[in-house]
Amino acid sequence: MKLYAYCLTEGIDSPAESLTGINGSTVRLLNLNDFSLLVSDFAGDTVPVSRDNALAHAAVVRSVLDQTTPLPFRFGTLVTQQQLENYVTTRRDALQAKLELVRGCVEMSVKIIWDRPWTEEPPVTEPDKPGTAFLVEKRRELLGSETRAEEAKKIARWLTERLGEAVREKEFRANSTDKLLLTAAHLVERSRVEEYRSLLKNARLERPELHFLASGPWPPYSFANIDLEFKS
Amino acid sequence: MELSPETPRPAEPEIETSHVEEFVEQLRCVTDSLPSRINIDAQSVEQGLAKLVLTLIEFIRRLLEKQAVRRMEGGDLSPEQIEELGLALMKLEAKLHELKTQFGLTDEDLNLDLGPIGRLI
Repeated sequence: MKLYAYCLTEGIDSPAESLTGINGSTVRLLNLNDFSLLVSDFAGDTVPVSRDNALAHAAVVRSVLDQTTPLPFRFGTLVTQQQLENYVTTRRDALQAKLELVRGCVEMSVKIIWDRPWTEEPPVTEPDKPGTAFLVEKRRELLGSETRAEEAKKIARWLTERLGEAVREKEFRANSTDKLLLTAAHLVERSRVEEYRSLLKNARLERPELHFLASGPWPPYSFANIDLEFKS
Repeated sequence: MELSPETPRPAEPEIETSHVEEFVEQLRCVTDSLPSRINIDAQSVEQGLAKLVLTLIEFIRRLLEKQAVRRMEGGDLSPEQIEELGLALMKLEAKLHELKTQFGLTDEDLNLDLGPIGRLI
Protein backbone atom coordinates (compact mmCIF):
# COMPACT_ATOMS: atom_id res chain seq x y z
CA MET A 1 0.00 0.00 0.00
CA LYS A 2 1.39 3.38 -0.99
CA LEU A 3 0.61 6.87 0.18
CA TYR A 4 -0.82 9.55 -2.06
CA ALA A 5 0.81 12.85 -1.02
CA TYR A 6 -1.25 16.05 -1.38
CA CYS A 7 0.78 18.74 0.31
CA LEU A 8 3.35 19.56 2.91
CA THR A 9 2.42 22.09 5.51
CA GLU A 10 2.89 23.35 9.06
CA GLY A 11 0.70 24.33 11.97
CA ILE A 12 -2.13 21.92 11.24
CA ASP A 13 -3.57 19.71 13.99
CA SER A 14 -5.84 17.57 11.88
CA PRO A 15 -7.42 17.58 8.43
CA ALA A 16 -10.94 18.93 8.07
CA GLU A 17 -13.63 16.46 9.10
CA SER A 18 -15.28 14.55 6.29
CA LEU A 19 -12.43 15.48 3.94
CA THR A 20 -12.03 12.84 1.26
CA GLY A 21 -9.23 12.49 -1.24
CA ILE A 22 -8.49 10.49 -4.38
CA ASN A 23 -11.02 7.64 -4.86
CA GLY A 24 -12.97 8.87 -1.84
CA SER A 25 -10.19 7.82 0.53
CA THR A 26 -9.79 9.25 4.01
CA VAL A 27 -7.22 12.01 4.24
CA ARG A 28 -4.95 11.92 7.25
CA LEU A 29 -2.18 13.99 8.72
CA LEU A 30 1.29 12.52 8.85
CA ASN A 31 3.76 14.33 11.10
CA LEU A 32 7.39 13.89 10.06
CA ASN A 33 10.16 15.92 11.66
CA ASP A 34 8.88 19.51 11.76
CA PHE A 35 6.45 19.00 8.89
CA SER A 36 2.89 17.89 8.51
CA LEU A 37 1.83 16.13 5.35
CA LEU A 38 -1.65 15.41 4.10
CA VAL A 39 -1.79 11.90 2.68
CA SER A 40 -4.21 9.08 1.98
CA ASP A 41 -3.74 5.36 1.36
CA PHE A 42 -3.64 4.31 -2.28
CA ALA A 43 -3.70 0.82 -3.75
CA GLY A 44 -1.96 0.82 -7.12
CA ASP A 45 1.06 2.20 -8.91
CA THR A 46 -0.41 5.04 -10.97
CA VAL A 47 -3.16 7.56 -10.41
CA PRO A 48 -5.48 7.97 -13.41
CA VAL A 49 -5.53 11.55 -14.70
CA SER A 50 -9.23 12.28 -14.46
CA ARG A 51 -11.36 15.30 -13.67
CA ASP A 52 -12.57 13.74 -10.38
CA ASN A 53 -9.05 12.91 -9.23
CA ALA A 54 -7.70 16.34 -10.14
CA LEU A 55 -10.56 18.03 -8.28
CA ALA A 56 -10.06 15.77 -5.25
CA HIS A 57 -6.35 16.66 -5.13
CA ALA A 58 -7.11 20.39 -5.41
CA ALA A 59 -9.85 20.21 -2.74
CA VAL A 60 -7.51 18.59 -0.19
CA VAL A 61 -4.75 21.16 -0.81
CA ARG A 62 -7.25 23.99 -0.62
CA SER A 63 -8.79 22.66 2.61
CA VAL A 64 -5.85 23.92 4.69
CA LEU A 65 -5.47 27.27 2.92
CA ASP A 66 -7.73 28.97 5.48
CA GLN A 67 -5.29 28.05 8.24
CA THR A 68 -1.89 28.09 6.61
CA THR A 69 -0.14 28.15 3.23
CA PRO A 70 0.73 24.63 2.06
CA LEU A 71 3.33 23.44 -0.43
CA PRO A 72 1.36 21.29 -2.87
CA PHE A 73 2.87 18.12 -4.27
CA ARG A 74 2.50 17.48 -7.97
CA PHE A 75 -0.68 15.60 -8.88
CA GLY A 76 -0.13 11.85 -8.82
CA THR A 77 2.68 11.71 -6.23
CA LEU A 78 2.73 8.17 -4.81
CA VAL A 79 5.31 7.14 -2.22
CA THR A 80 5.94 4.84 0.70
CA GLN A 81 6.10 6.29 4.20
CA GLN A 82 9.81 5.44 4.31
CA GLN A 83 10.40 7.44 1.12
CA LEU A 84 8.53 10.41 2.58
CA GLU A 85 10.57 10.24 5.77
CA ASN A 86 13.82 10.17 3.80
CA TYR A 87 12.61 13.00 1.63
CA VAL A 88 11.72 15.42 4.43
CA THR A 89 14.90 14.53 6.30
CA THR A 90 17.28 15.08 3.42
CA ARG A 91 15.42 18.13 2.05
CA ARG A 92 14.65 19.70 5.39
CA ASP A 93 16.44 23.02 4.79
CA ALA A 94 15.12 23.45 1.25
CA LEU A 95 11.57 22.70 2.36
CA GLN A 96 11.83 25.12 5.29
CA ALA A 97 13.04 27.80 2.87
CA LYS A 98 10.11 27.10 0.53
CA LEU A 99 7.63 27.30 3.41
CA GLU A 100 9.23 30.55 4.49
CA LEU A 101 8.80 31.95 0.96
CA VAL A 102 5.08 31.17 0.70
CA ARG A 103 4.17 31.77 4.34
CA GLY A 104 1.17 34.06 4.68
CA CYS A 105 0.71 34.26 0.91
CA VAL A 106 -1.60 33.00 -1.80
CA GLU A 107 -1.14 32.63 -5.53
CA MET A 108 -2.96 34.92 -7.96
CA SER A 109 -3.01 34.09 -11.63
CA VAL A 110 -3.21 36.26 -14.75
CA LYS A 111 -3.59 35.04 -18.33
CA ILE A 112 -3.31 37.46 -21.21
CA ILE A 113 -4.65 37.14 -24.75
CA TRP A 114 -3.54 39.49 -27.50
CA ASP A 115 -5.50 38.72 -30.63
CA ARG A 116 -3.40 40.22 -33.40
CA PRO A 117 -1.39 38.86 -36.33
CA TRP A 118 2.24 38.15 -35.48
CA THR A 119 3.49 37.53 -39.00
CA GLU A 120 3.91 39.94 -41.90
CA GLU A 121 1.89 39.59 -45.10
CA PRO A 122 3.36 36.76 -47.22
CA PRO A 123 5.65 38.11 -49.96
CA VAL A 124 5.16 37.27 -53.62
CA THR A 125 7.50 34.47 -54.69
CA GLU A 126 8.35 32.93 -58.04
CA PRO A 127 6.17 29.84 -58.69
CA ASP A 128 9.02 27.91 -60.33
CA LYS A 129 11.15 28.17 -57.18
CA PRO A 130 9.32 26.12 -54.50
CA GLY A 131 12.46 25.67 -52.39
CA THR A 132 13.04 29.43 -52.17
CA ALA A 133 9.35 30.03 -51.42
CA PHE A 134 9.57 27.45 -48.62
CA LEU A 135 12.51 29.22 -46.97
CA VAL A 136 10.90 32.65 -47.39
CA GLU A 137 7.79 31.35 -45.63
CA LYS A 138 9.92 29.87 -42.85
CA ARG A 139 11.62 33.21 -42.41
CA ARG A 140 8.22 34.90 -42.09
CA GLU A 141 7.11 32.38 -39.45
CA LEU A 142 10.39 32.76 -37.56
CA LEU A 143 10.15 36.55 -37.47
CA GLY A 144 6.53 36.32 -36.29
CA SER A 145 7.52 33.95 -33.51
CA GLU A 146 10.38 36.23 -32.40
CA THR A 147 8.11 39.29 -32.40
CA ARG A 148 5.57 37.41 -30.31
CA ALA A 149 8.18 36.30 -27.75
CA GLU A 150 9.57 39.85 -27.52
CA GLU A 151 6.10 41.31 -26.94
CA ALA A 152 5.42 38.70 -24.25
CA LYS A 153 8.60 39.81 -22.44
CA LYS A 154 7.65 43.49 -22.71
CA ILE A 155 4.18 42.83 -21.32
CA ALA A 156 5.64 40.78 -18.46
CA ARG A 157 7.92 43.73 -17.55
CA TRP A 158 5.04 46.19 -17.82
CA LEU A 159 2.81 44.05 -15.59
CA THR A 160 5.57 43.70 -13.01
CA GLU A 161 5.94 47.47 -12.88
CA ARG A 162 2.22 48.05 -12.51
CA LEU A 163 1.74 45.54 -9.71
CA GLY A 164 4.78 46.81 -7.85
CA GLU A 165 5.35 45.68 -4.30
CA ALA A 166 1.97 44.01 -3.95
CA VAL A 167 3.74 40.97 -5.43
CA ARG A 168 6.31 39.07 -3.38
CA GLU A 169 7.37 36.66 -6.12
CA LYS A 170 6.44 36.11 -9.76
CA GLU A 171 6.61 33.45 -12.45
CA PHE A 172 5.96 34.05 -16.13
CA ARG A 173 5.39 31.61 -18.93
CA ALA A 174 5.08 32.54 -22.59
CA ASN A 175 2.32 30.43 -24.08
CA SER A 176 2.28 28.38 -27.19
CA THR A 177 -1.22 28.95 -28.56
CA ASP A 178 -1.70 31.71 -31.12
CA LYS A 179 -3.75 34.05 -28.98
CA LEU A 180 -2.77 33.24 -25.41
CA LEU A 181 0.39 35.26 -25.05
CA LEU A 182 1.35 35.05 -21.42
CA THR A 183 0.55 33.34 -18.14
CA ALA A 184 1.68 34.97 -14.93
CA ALA A 185 1.58 33.60 -11.39
CA HIS A 186 1.98 36.07 -8.53
CA LEU A 187 2.71 35.26 -4.92
CA VAL A 188 0.77 37.83 -2.90
CA GLU A 189 0.57 38.35 0.84
CA ARG A 190 -2.94 37.71 2.06
CA SER A 191 -3.23 41.20 3.49
CA ARG A 192 -2.39 42.70 0.06
CA VAL A 193 -4.80 40.75 -2.15
CA GLU A 194 -7.26 43.64 -2.45
CA GLU A 195 -4.42 46.07 -3.23
CA TYR A 196 -3.17 43.62 -5.88
CA ARG A 197 -6.64 43.37 -7.43
CA SER A 198 -6.98 47.13 -7.53
CA LEU A 199 -3.57 47.56 -9.21
CA LEU A 200 -4.41 44.86 -11.72
CA LYS A 201 -7.72 46.55 -12.51
CA ASN A 202 -5.90 49.81 -13.27
CA ALA A 203 -3.41 47.98 -15.48
CA ARG A 204 -6.23 46.36 -17.44
CA LEU A 205 -7.77 49.76 -18.10
CA GLU A 206 -4.44 51.01 -19.37
CA ARG A 207 -4.13 48.32 -22.07
CA PRO A 208 -7.60 47.68 -23.54
CA GLU A 209 -6.11 45.76 -26.47
CA LEU A 210 -5.06 43.01 -24.07
CA HIS A 211 -7.68 40.58 -22.77
CA PHE A 212 -7.15 39.48 -19.19
CA LEU A 213 -8.31 36.51 -17.17
CA ALA A 214 -7.51 37.02 -13.51
CA SER A 215 -8.11 34.31 -10.93
CA GLY A 216 -7.30 33.43 -7.35
CA PRO A 217 -6.56 33.13 -4.53
CA TRP A 218 -5.06 29.66 -5.06
CA PRO A 219 -2.57 27.56 -3.11
CA PRO A 220 0.95 28.42 -4.35
CA TYR A 221 1.19 25.70 -7.00
CA SER A 222 3.61 27.71 -9.15
CA PHE A 223 6.00 28.39 -6.27
CA ALA A 224 6.10 25.03 -4.50
CA ASN A 225 8.19 22.97 -6.91
CA ILE A 226 8.35 20.01 -4.56
CA ASP A 227 7.97 17.36 -7.21
CA LEU A 228 11.58 16.47 -6.53
CA GLU A 229 12.64 12.91 -6.97
CA PHE A 230 11.86 10.49 -4.20
CA LYS A 231 14.58 8.06 -3.27
CA SER A 232 14.12 5.24 -0.82
CA MET B 1 3.23 28.44 11.51
CA GLU B 2 -0.49 28.82 12.04
CA LEU B 3 -2.03 32.08 10.90
CA SER B 4 -2.92 34.51 13.63
CA PRO B 5 -6.60 35.51 14.00
CA GLU B 6 -5.81 38.89 12.41
CA THR B 7 -4.34 37.37 9.27
CA PRO B 8 -6.87 37.62 6.43
CA ARG B 9 -8.29 34.28 5.34
CA PRO B 10 -8.32 33.81 1.58
CA ALA B 11 -11.74 34.10 0.02
CA GLU B 12 -13.03 31.49 -2.38
CA PRO B 13 -11.13 31.80 -5.67
CA GLU B 14 -12.65 34.23 -8.11
CA ILE B 15 -12.27 34.17 -11.87
CA GLU B 16 -12.67 37.48 -13.61
CA THR B 17 -12.67 38.24 -17.33
CA SER B 18 -14.74 40.06 -19.92
CA HIS B 19 -13.78 37.50 -22.58
CA VAL B 20 -14.99 34.16 -21.26
CA GLU B 21 -15.46 32.31 -24.56
CA GLU B 22 -12.09 33.41 -25.92
CA PHE B 23 -10.26 32.12 -22.83
CA VAL B 24 -12.24 28.88 -22.73
CA GLU B 25 -11.22 28.21 -26.34
CA GLN B 26 -7.55 28.96 -25.69
CA LEU B 27 -7.36 27.03 -22.43
CA ARG B 28 -8.96 24.05 -24.15
CA CYS B 29 -6.10 24.17 -26.69
CA VAL B 30 -3.59 24.17 -23.83
CA THR B 31 -5.19 21.27 -21.93
CA ASP B 32 -5.60 19.24 -25.12
CA SER B 33 -1.86 19.50 -25.62
CA LEU B 34 -0.91 18.41 -22.09
CA PRO B 35 1.07 15.19 -22.20
CA SER B 36 -0.74 12.17 -20.86
CA ARG B 37 1.18 9.63 -18.84
CA ILE B 38 2.77 6.84 -20.82
CA ASN B 39 1.71 3.39 -19.72
CA ILE B 40 4.46 0.91 -20.27
CA ASP B 41 2.67 -1.82 -22.14
CA ALA B 42 3.52 -3.53 -25.41
CA GLN B 43 1.24 -1.29 -27.48
CA SER B 44 2.11 2.09 -26.07
CA VAL B 45 5.83 1.60 -25.65
CA GLU B 46 6.41 1.59 -29.43
CA GLN B 47 4.54 4.84 -29.84
CA GLY B 48 6.33 6.34 -26.83
CA LEU B 49 9.69 5.49 -28.36
CA ALA B 50 8.66 6.84 -31.77
CA LYS B 51 7.52 10.04 -30.09
CA LEU B 52 10.85 10.51 -28.38
CA VAL B 53 12.90 9.84 -31.51
CA LEU B 54 10.71 12.01 -33.74
CA THR B 55 10.84 14.81 -31.17
CA LEU B 56 14.62 14.87 -31.41
CA ILE B 57 14.51 14.78 -35.21
CA GLU B 58 11.95 17.60 -35.22
CA PHE B 59 14.17 19.63 -32.89
CA ILE B 60 17.16 19.20 -35.20
CA ARG B 61 15.02 19.93 -38.28
CA ARG B 62 13.91 23.23 -36.77
CA LEU B 63 17.49 24.14 -35.94
CA LEU B 64 18.48 23.45 -39.55
CA GLU B 65 15.61 25.62 -40.78
CA LYS B 66 16.67 28.48 -38.53
CA GLN B 67 20.25 28.19 -39.66
CA ALA B 68 19.18 28.15 -43.33
CA VAL B 69 17.05 31.27 -42.84
CA ARG B 70 19.94 33.05 -41.12
CA ARG B 71 22.32 32.12 -43.95
CA MET B 72 19.78 33.32 -46.51
CA GLU B 73 19.43 36.64 -44.63
CA GLY B 74 23.20 36.92 -44.34
CA GLY B 75 23.55 36.89 -48.12
CA ASP B 76 26.19 34.16 -48.21
CA LEU B 77 24.09 31.82 -50.39
CA SER B 78 23.53 32.08 -54.14
CA PRO B 79 19.91 31.87 -55.46
CA GLU B 80 20.65 28.32 -56.64
CA GLN B 81 21.92 27.30 -53.21
CA ILE B 82 18.86 28.83 -51.53
CA GLU B 83 16.56 26.87 -53.84
CA GLU B 84 18.48 23.64 -53.24
CA LEU B 85 18.53 24.08 -49.46
CA GLY B 86 14.83 25.00 -49.43
CA LEU B 87 13.90 21.90 -51.41
CA ALA B 88 15.91 19.65 -49.11
CA LEU B 89 14.25 21.09 -45.99
CA MET B 90 10.84 20.89 -47.65
CA LYS B 91 11.34 17.18 -48.31
CA LEU B 92 12.53 16.64 -44.73
CA GLU B 93 9.40 18.33 -43.40
CA ALA B 94 7.17 16.20 -45.65
CA LYS B 95 8.94 13.02 -44.54
CA LEU B 96 8.55 13.87 -40.88
CA HIS B 97 4.88 14.65 -41.43
CA GLU B 98 4.49 11.20 -43.01
CA LEU B 99 6.15 9.51 -40.01
CA LYS B 100 4.01 11.47 -37.55
CA THR B 101 0.86 10.32 -39.36
CA GLN B 102 2.11 6.74 -39.35
CA PHE B 103 2.51 6.77 -35.55
CA GLY B 104 -0.65 8.79 -34.92
CA LEU B 105 1.25 11.79 -33.52
CA THR B 106 0.43 15.50 -33.79
CA ASP B 107 2.75 18.51 -33.93
CA GLU B 108 2.14 19.21 -30.26
CA ASP B 109 3.06 15.63 -29.34
CA LEU B 110 6.57 16.30 -30.62
CA ASN B 111 7.53 18.48 -27.72
CA LEU B 112 9.10 17.88 -24.35
CA ASP B 113 8.51 19.80 -21.17
CA LEU B 114 11.96 20.40 -19.72
CA GLY B 115 10.63 21.90 -16.50
CA PRO B 116 12.30 25.13 -15.41
CA ILE B 117 14.05 25.67 -18.76
CA GLY B 118 10.80 25.47 -20.70
CA ARG B 119 9.69 23.39 -23.64
CA LEU B 120 12.00 21.83 -26.16
CA ILE B 121 10.30 23.31 -29.22
